[in-house]
Amino acid sequence: MLKILALGLVGSLAFAATGPDTYVQMTFGEVDTLDPAQAYDTASGAILENIYETLYTYKGESITEYEPVLATDYSISDDGKTYTFKLRRDVLFHSGNRMTCRDVEYSIERLLVTNPGDSAGWFYAESLIGYDGVNAKDYFGDNPSQEDLDKYWQAIDNSVECIDDYTVAFHLVKKDPSFFVKLMYTASSILDSKYAIENGEWSGTKADWYDWAGKDLRNGFLHNHDAGTGAYKLVKWDGKDVYAERFIGYWDYANKPQMKNIIIKVVDEQATRIQALKAGDADRITVNDRATLETQIRGMPNAKILESDKWFGAAASAVFFNQKIVAEDNPLIGSGQLDGNGIPADFFTDINVRKAFAYSFSQDAIIQDVYLGKAVPLTMALPPSFLGYDPNIPIYDLDMDKAEEYFKKAYDGKLWETGFTMTIAYNTGNTTRQTVAEILKQNIEALNPKFKINVKAMPWPQFLDAYKKGQLPTLVLGWGAGYADPDNFIYVFYHSNGYFAKKIGYSNPEMDKLIEEARSITDPAKRAELYSKVGYLAHDDVPVLPLPRPTGWMVLAKNVYTKMAPEGMDVYNNPMRSGSFLWKDIIKK
Amino acid sequence: MTTFIARGLLQLPVVLLALSLLIFGMMQFLTPEQRAATYVRTEQQAKNIDLIIRQYNLDKGFWAQYTTWLNQVLHGNLGYSKQSHEPVLTTIRKRLPVWTELAIFMFFPTLAFGIWMGTLAATHRDKLIDQFVRVFAIAGWSLPTFVLGIWLLAVLYGYFHCCGIGRADDKYLIEFAKGTLKTYTGMITIDGLLNGRPNVTFSGLKHLVMPVLTYMVVASAQIMRVLRSSMLDVLNSDYVRTARAKGLPERVVNLKHARHNAIIPIVTIAGLMFTFMLEGVFFIEIIFNIPGLGQWAVPAAIQLDFPAVIGIALLTGVIVSIANLVVDILYGIIDPRISFQ
Repeated sequence: MLKILALGLVGSLAFAATGPDTYVQMTFGEVDTLDPAQAYDTASGAILENIYETLYTYKGESITEYEPVLATDYSISDDGKTYTFKLRRDVLFHSGNRMTCRDVEYSIERLLVTNPGDSAGWFYAESLIGYDGVNAKDYFGDNPSQEDLDKYWQAIDNSVECIDDYTVAFHLVKKDPSFFVKLMYTASSILDSKYAIENGEWSGTKADWYDWAGKDLRNGFLHNHDAGTGAYKLVKWDGKDVYAERFIGYWDYANKPQMKNIIIKVVDEQATRIQALKAGDADRITVNDRATLETQIRGMPNAKILESDKWFGAAASAVFFNQKIVAEDNPLIGSGQLDGNGIPADFFTDINVRKAFAYSFSQDAIIQDVYLGKAVPLTMALPPSFLGYDPNIPIYDLDMDKAEEYFKKAYDGKLWETGFTMTIAYNTGNTTRQTVAEILKQNIEALNPKFKINVKAMPWPQFLDAYKKGQLPTLVLGWGAGYADPDNFIYVFYHSNGYFAKKIGYSNPEMDKLIEEARSITDPAKRAELYSKVGYLAHDDVPVLPLPRPTGWMVLAKNVYTKMAPEGMDVYNNPMRSGSFLWKDIIKK
Repeated sequence: MTTFIARGLLQLPVVLLALSLLIFGMMQFLTPEQRAATYVRTEQQAKNIDLIIRQYNLDKGFWAQYTTWLNQVLHGNLGYSKQSHEPVLTTIRKRLPVWTELAIFMFFPTLAFGIWMGTLAATHRDKLIDQFVRVFAIAGWSLPTFVLGIWLLAVLYGYFHCCGIGRADDKYLIEFAKGTLKTYTGMITIDGLLNGRPNVTFSGLKHLVMPVLTYMVVASAQIMRVLRSSMLDVLNSDYVRTARAKGLPERVVNLKHARHNAIIPIVTIAGLMFTFMLEGVFFIEIIFNIPGLGQWAVPAAIQLDFPAVIGIALLTGVIVSIANLVVDILYGIIDPRISFQ
């Protein structure tokens, strides 16, 4: 045995490299599912955006310019409630079937029929059928009446209409300026209906629709099979690594992709990914943190780091002040009273407390500590590349005098007298949450010896449990965009019915009015103005404290480029693409 | 001996049932929200946690959950692992051969190396080689797997571009994925030969070099030390002196008479070592990116991926029981004084 092993050692000293038409990416985090209607995470999205296609998509790295893919043209009715698309002819699915309007109808209706709780289906359902974006099984509960169900099905059936084989119309329940960009998310990929039905997926008819309502699609055929039109077809996904190959019947044959084979490998250990890049076995690797980037990658002869201060990612995060902490069995708020040994459940309803916290915090500290200076502060909880982001809104910075002033004002001076004790928890391994907690602790405890903040690490299940129960007094939460519209962030963070705002009990009627108005109009300039007003109001009201956005980077082998790269860059990076760029645009020089 | 084996195997279902009850019982200390954590990775998904709890019956009572599960298992369904994104049984079927291949290639060389070095040390007591083995054993034993693994990775692979990570070269993995290379056993080294492609087997062996080397240095230490001391005991016993007095050559005395008896404690340790490899190779699997059982089991446990956890526990139960049985049989074969009754 030793001899065989020794032979292996000697025999393999030749330099390894990925082939000229093979692209190997090493990342962490496994693909969750390859069913477009179920997937709602970036690891899955990074595969789906290459094997499936949508009607329209983002152009190059822009999020405001679009180009037709499976459609050729579209129009919106005057009332903004009907979208009509002309479909491209001569598009083949990977099975060899030809795409028609029937496939578009099937794909979108399937999304509305199934709409499992942990999928992106809700934002399509909100636009097309209403019902709070919830699937029929969960909306009606255990014993639905036949009449209700018929109505629900009717709503689905009416929402997508085939005018002819190559024209499709979507009928919205109300005006929705973000519907068009919603159609660019992978969930609305067009599926090969014939192939899917043959293999036991939903029949596309009323007969079995209710059986599929709310179903976990990870048990279905499309979970690990591909029914797309994309430039690449799935060879195999073994639950971990993904193998794909160029599709020879691709409709856009003029732009034939250069890479023949694609391998996306899950390599959980960062050191292993780095050594693989060094050894020439990887074309792109994921590097988690900037410290590693600077110390281990920079200077590596066959690798390059690409970065740009315009790469923010389509995400925003903020520190939340929970205005309705659940006091039951909650050790995080101590005594639950304003007696120095805890905080009351409504501690953060006093705006002076929120302002005092805001002045005890500094985005710059996060930028230096977590991102080594490579990040920009945010004025509002919206990515800077999005419509309506206003860079002129003032930002809270560390100001101990002002913090003291507001703490003294809070609770009519009582807070300053008695002091308080609270615990800020973070999930183990999340350095941003940890650093935020530590900065607040350090600054606030320095103000008054009676102020006490404990910082506690929790494993993810325990953290999620406390979060779900609403026990965390302050917390850091982030939101990633499903579609490139500011409403996807603003509503979630600031509207009293938005997911985050509701969770922390924030409600301001003036704010709600602004957001609803911006939702109901389509003129971008007017919407931008309204979102700017939202930003100013949020600054005065401090429901949340925005956190800085790190500028992104990519680590690639030296010879990797893409088509459509902007001037001076080797590749493009679209924040709405889970994989930054598409496989079909990769060029190896 | 047949009755002995039969009795050992009959115990198995009882062990498995007890194991499953124990784990199910422990899961009851968690809230439905914590049990749902395995399905929730992002805040977007946490939005619908109530629906998720209902969808997966996470709020039902102990017996309801246990009997549903047991009923499923008796029908050959161990449930769906969120961690591996597929049924638990499929994952086990896929990862067990990978683990077995790795375990076999790690186990036997390590055992052989340890026995060889241990024998050398004992027969050359206090000589230079003995000193070396003792230092090596202490150094190896105290060296964490991940430190040695990362070091080998950086030097052999990163610097010398040799050996490779994963299971085989990408070109062969692509062929396996496309089906031009057939998967028979799931073990690359064997499948290569069955496909009539020795170069695939060679590639598989090449990719096993670093994991095996890592494990050998760390795990052989214990074998060396135990064998050395038990061998020293035996070498001082009367029957060895008699054998020497008979005028038998030193080699025969040492290897046949002395080592034969000194090896019994090694069988015990080897049995433990093999079963411990189920979780013990986690770092090796992570560092060298080998999709074995540990790489799935450890994150699954952290994420509270319940079907996976219980599936792994049952598999461990089976492997431990069988390994124990093998160890007991080996005792009897090596030492005829041990009876099977």
